[in-house]
Amino acid sequence: MDRADTVVQIDGLVKRYGKVEAVRGIDIKVARGEVFGFLGPNGSGKSTTIRCLLGLLRPTAGTIGAFGLDATRDGVALRRRLTYVPGELRLPDRLTGMELATSFGHLRGGFDPARRDQLAERLRLDLHRHLRDLSTGNRRKVALLLAFLFDAELIVLDEPTNGLDPLMQREFLVMVREARATGATVFLSSHSLSEVQRAADRVAILRAGKVVAQGTVAELRGRARQRIEVWFEDEPPAAELKALADMVDPVIDDHRLTATLSGSIQPLLELLASHRVGSMLVEEPDLEEAFLDLYDGEPA
Amino acid sequence: MNGRILELVGGPLRAMRRATIWWCLGLAALIAATISIWPAFKGSSGLSQAIDQLPTGVVQAFGLADFGTPAGFLRANLYDFFVPLLIVIAAVVLANGQTASEEASGRLELYLAQPIDRRAVLLGRAIAALVALAVISVLLLIVQLGADAAVGLGIDTGYLVSTIALCALLGALHGSLAVAIAGVRARPSLVLGVGIGVGVAGCVVASLFPLSSVLAPWRHLSPWDWAFGGNSLEQATDLWRYAALAVPSVILTTIGLVAVTRRDISGA
Repeated sequence: MDRADTVVQIDGLVKRYGKVEAVRGIDIKVARGEVFGFLGPNGSGKSTTIRCLLGLLRPTAGTIGAFGLDATRDGVALRRRLTYVPGELRLPDRLTGMELATSFGHLRGGFDPARRDQLAERLRLDLHRHLRDLSTGNRRKVALLLAFLFDAELIVLDEPTNGLDPLMQREFLVMVREARATGATVFLSSHSLSEVQRAADRVAILRAGKVVAQGTVAELRGRARQRIEVWFEDEPPAAELKALADMVDPVIDDHRLTATLSGSIQPLLELLASHRVGSMLVEEPDLEEAFLDLYDGEPA
Repeated sequence: MNGRILELVGGPLRAMRRATIWWCLGLAALIAATISIWPAFKGSSGLSQAIDQLPTGVVQAFGLADFGTPAGFLRANLYDFFVPLLIVIAAVVLANGQTASEEASGRLELYLAQPIDRRAVLLGRAIAALVALAVISVLLLIVQLGADAAVGLGIDTGYLVSTIALCALLGALHGSLAVAIAGVRARPSLVLGVGIGVGVAGCVVASLFPLSSVLAPWRHLSPWDWAFGGNSLEQATDLWRYAALAVPSVILTTIGLVAVTRRDISGA
C-alpha cells in the first residue's frame, strides 16, 4: 500500500492498564476509500485501539495515527478530519437531539441544518425529544446522525448498529457505502460478523489484543473450513480420502462421504476425478466460520 | 468570540442551570430567614448578658462576641461559617459535576472526540463553574442588600460587597482545587472528598486554632483566614486578601489543565 494511500496507520500498538495488556502489538494499515472491518469479541481490544486513534488513550508502546498525523501529538488536527460513533453511548440526557447536533455544529464548524434534517428523516429520528426519553436504538441513531452530519475523510464506527432494528441496519450499510463513494474511509469495529461481511472490503480479526488474521473478506473465507458432502456411484476410496492432508473427520457411510476441509479443495478434486461421483455439495464458508476457526486454532 | 468558545462555556452553563438556580434559592432563603430574626435580637441586653456567661473560647470560636451588633450578628449567623461553607461546597460540586463526574460517566468522550484540545474543554467547564458561582454570589448580594434595607441593619454596602466577593473567591479557590484534581484523575469521589474536606479543614483551622496559643500562628495557613481575617464587614479589605485567593485559583486551574493532557481519558 502506497504511503500516500494510507489513511490509518497502526504500528506495534501496545496498551497496558497496569498489569493488564489490552492491546498487544497491533499493526494495521487502512487505505483511502476502503471500508475496513475491525472484528473481534468483546474485550479483544477493538475499542481500546479506537480510543488510542482518537487520542483519548496514550499508547504504552508503538504508534497510531491517521493522515500522517500522530494521534497523541496531533490529536486536534487528526480529529478535525474524522467523525466517531462510540461503542458505549453516553449522551447528555438533558439535551434534545436537535440541541446536541447544534452544539456539535458549533464545536466543529461546517454545520448544515438541512443535512441534519435530511439525516433525521432518513433515520426516522425525532430530534425534538430529550435524549433521556429515547430508546437505545434511537440514541444510536443520534450518534450515527452526528457521525454523518459533517464532511469527514475518516468515519470511525465502534459497534455502530447495536440496538438498531434490521431496517435501520440496512439503511446504515447504505450510508456507509455512500460515504465510501464520496471518498471517505470507514473504520468499522464490530462483533457482528454479518455486518462486517456485508460492509467491509478488508478485515482484521482481533483476539486478546492481537490481530490473528488480516485480509479481504474473500481471503478470510478462503482460510475457513468448508463442509463437504460427496455421493459416489462406485466404491469410495476410503484410504486415499482419509490420507488427504486437509481432510478433517471424514466419515464414509455407504457411498456418501461427509467431511470438513481445512485447506485447499484442489487435492480432493484431483482424487475425485479418477472416480465416479454422483453429486457433491460444498457449503460456502462465511466469515463467521473463518472467525470461529481462528479462535479455535490460536492459543490465548 | 466565536461559536466554539461560546459553546465550550455555554454548554456546561446550560447543564448547570438547574443546579445554579437551586443553590441561589437555598442561599437566598438562608439569608432571608436569618435576617428576618434580627429585629428580635436588636438591642437585646438579655442576649448580650447570656453570651457574657459563655466561656471565652466558645464565644471566640463561634464569633459571638458582638452578637448584638449588626456586623456581629451577620458574622455569627452567616459569614463566619454558613455562607462561605455553602459557597465552597457549591463550587466544588459544580466543578466536579462538569469535569470528573462527566468524564467518569463517559459523557465527555464524544466531546473529546471532536477537534478540540482537551485543555480547552476543561477550561471551558472551569469558566462555566466560575460564572455559575458569580451568578450565585450576585444573587446573594442582592438578597443581602434587600434584607439589610428591609430590617435596617445599616451595614456599609461596600463592606457587604467585599464580604460576598471574598466568599465567592474562597469558593473559586476550592472549585479550582476540584478542577486541579479532576485534571489529574477523573474520580468524582476523590474530587468531592478532597475539595470539601479542604474547605471544612480550612474553616476549622481559622476558627479553632486562634483558641490555642500554640496553634494560633498556624491559622494563617487557612484560606478562610486570608478571606475573613480582616473583619470585612466592619472595615475595608486589604487588596492582598483578594489576591491571596485569586492567584492560587489560577495556579490550581493551570495545574489541572497541564495534568489533563498527560493522562488517559476515563471511559464509561
